[in-house]
Amino acid sequence: MQNPESSCLDSFPFSEGNYLFMLGRGLKRKLSDYEENMAGLSSAFDSSRSLPYPLKRQLVLNMCLTKLQTYKMLVEPNLHRSVLIANTVRQIQEEMRQESNQQPVNICPGITPSSHSYPGMESSGISLQLPSGISQQESSCCDLRSVEDPIENSLLIVSDDDMSSAISSILKDLDFVEDISPPTCLVPSGDDQPKFPENTGLKLEDDRQDLKGAECVFGSFEISNSTSYLKDLAIDDIFEDIDTSMYDSDFCCPPLMPPRSPSLATEEPLKTFPSCNSSSASNIQICRTDLSELDHIMEILVGS
Amino acid sequence: MAGVARAGGDGGGSSNELQWCFSQVKGAIDEDVAEADIISTVEFNYSGDLLATGDKGGRVVIFQREQESKTRPLSRGEYNVYSTFQSHEPEFDYLKSLEIEEKINKIRWLPQQNAAHFLLSTNDKTIKLWKISERDKRAEGYNLKDEDGRLRDPVRIKELRVPTLKPMDLMVEASPRRIFANAHTYHINSISVNSDYATYLSADDLRINLWHLEITNRSFNIVDIKPANMEELTEVITAAEFHPQQCNVFVYSSSKGTIRLCDMRSSALCDRHSKFFEEPEDPSSRSFFSEIISSISDVKFSHNGRYMMTRDYLSVKVWDLNMENRPVETYQVHEYLRSKLCSLYENDCIFDKFECCWNGLDSTIMTGSYNNFFRMFDRNTRRDTTLEASRESSKSRAILKPRKVCTGGKRKKDEISVDSLDFNKKILHTAWHPTENFIAVAATNNLYLFQDKIN
Repeated sequence: MQNPESSCLDSFPFSEGNYLFMLGRGLKRKLSDYEENMAGLSSAFDSSRSLPYPLKRQLVLNMCLTKLQTYKMLVEPNLHRSVLIANTVRQIQEEMRQESNQQPVNICPGITPSSHSYPGMESSGISLQLPSGISQQESSCCDLRSVEDPIENSLLIVSDDDMSSAISSILKDLDFVEDISPPTCLVPSGDDQPKFPENTGLKLEDDRQDLKGAECVFGSFEISNSTSYLKDLAIDDIFEDIDTSMYDSDFCCPPLMPPRSPSLATEEPLKTFPSCNSSSASNIQICRTDLSELDHIMEILVGS
Repeated sequence: MAGVARAGGDGGGSSNELQWCFSQVKGAIDEDVAEADIISTVEFNYSGDLLATGDKGGRVVIFQREQESKTRPLSRGEYNVYSTFQSHEPEFDYLKSLEIEEKINKIRWLPQQNAAHFLLSTNDKTIKLWKISERDKRAEGYNLKDEDGRLRDPVRIKELRVPTLKPMDLMVEASPRRIFANAHTYHINSISVNSDYATYLSADDLRINLWHLEITNRSFNIVDIKPANMEELTEVITAAEFHPQQCNVFVYSSSKGTIRLCDMRSSALCDRHSKFFEEPEDPSSRSFFSEIISSISDVKFSHNGRYMMTRDYLSVKVWDLNMENRPVETYQVHEYLRSKLCSLYENDCIFDKFECCWNGLDSTIMTGSYNNFFRMFDRNTRRDTTLEASRESSKSRAILKPRKVCTGGKRKKDEISVDSLDFNKKILHTAWHPTENFIAVAATNNLYLFQDKIN
């Protein structure tokens, strides 16, 4: 009987390259390869009884994170599906946590949560994008594993933090900005009460309310729902509309602009936009799709 | 099962003699299915004389049953197109840079109170009340205008005449009477008309709103499960329905497989349920996908109001409203898919939302499956049937042959193996005539109508 593991392996050259999600050009081609390979793996999951449980779990986890990653790139992710997938990730996360509490060491020494905080990584935390620095670590990690587990070698080790941030980022993206004063008047119990999160994102939420009160056109022009990324920065209300994922990262980033008063909000975007762009470029690697989105926004703003 | 053959007749008799035969099929035969033609909802009206379908292109097509002809008294009337109109158009939300799909998610009829017919249709964001009325007379002989409609010169009018009504070809007009907009941030999945015939509810992923049919600029939010911090969101609303008789009671189902029954008399905001229905999980069947497959895709009260039925990915469950801790009946729709869940997750089929429906007597329930199969479960005899909606068996009055899926071992003749099932042919929407054994089954872009065989 043909070993189902080897059958799906044959069609699937295992390398980090297949899991690279290069945002921007080449994405489509990579995804279709990926999809074919995943179909092979998932039927292996279904048909094989000999796949060890941790491997099955890893496979499911990777599928979940891939889907969440795909949804994040949609303009409007499906809330129902995102919640279901996030819950599945949480469930797996909880299981892995309990296991790691029982076993002192099972994480590959080269990969620790802190080592995932390197420049250039997409702040969603899904470490499917590997710059060269990490691949060295992982290949040394792979040497430690038995060669009989090629699937396990290639399936990326995803840290607990990565899973949490994947869940948070997709769910926060689904927190649609709601109109405070819509044409139809809603009973107050239905309206969102102004939110008061515990961390310094507080200023962000307040500013959003102020901005809406001023009925600023740009205030409601939400380019991508990335305001969730700004957790530890005292961020300007102006920038809440602009995709700031390039500024976000796991390490502290100095505030880019001093906070300005909301009344200047209408004039700010055009003035501050180019300057913030250039100051950030020197600090952080810019993701390609974010740049193209910014270009698109600039075009709209200048009315071209 | 031996025994007296019960009189089939009207009303969904659960006789084991019941056989289904093809009546009609609506829709194009092309292999190439236009996305806009995919049927997204099917609903009979209260009398069963009208059958409405909505599609992804935002159109509503209403079929009307022809009166039974005197020459063939036993033949049931055919359903023919009565009215077609564009209910919703694609919209663009400029504030959020989002396209709003025109796909009709649900249609619900209002009970008929005069000559016109009213229905509610909804897409993701906006609900519309449509009036469908007939016009078969027109007035002739106006004084101030010609037959063409041109105004007559008053100077030239020498005498007055009384306009007369003349018959004309029947014209069916659909006009939007109310537009209920801007009340939902998330996608509307359900609408349900209350038994008071004056109010209705609309539910999206996180909220349920109560409307009065006459008032469009105001709605009351009666359920809100949105957490203050979206990261804490673990559950969404998947379906909601008013009780058929008690106008203060409604239920809503969740993505975690639970149902909450709420009483609007207890408080204005029904975040706290009156009853909570949940079946404890069977630990032996636990898998990574347990939660996903437990998500309820449809909830329907029985006509008598004593039971409700829920559909999750693999099963249909009947609940007694007086018993919250488990369903009274569980029917497996396609248990053979349980071993294929990973593949179905990978290709997103696991998220398909199947609906379910009761027959008029609440004795049989029906739901769809893949490969254009649909299933019926007789609650009294516990027998189940699998039938297929296909062009091959679409000859007039041809009896539908029961189908069977082979789950393992040697495949018998006429059986189909699980791996041969076409997962692109899914029957998500079915409807049962309120009083007769007549069903409508939506298979992608085709609407199949089946009736029971006249013995």
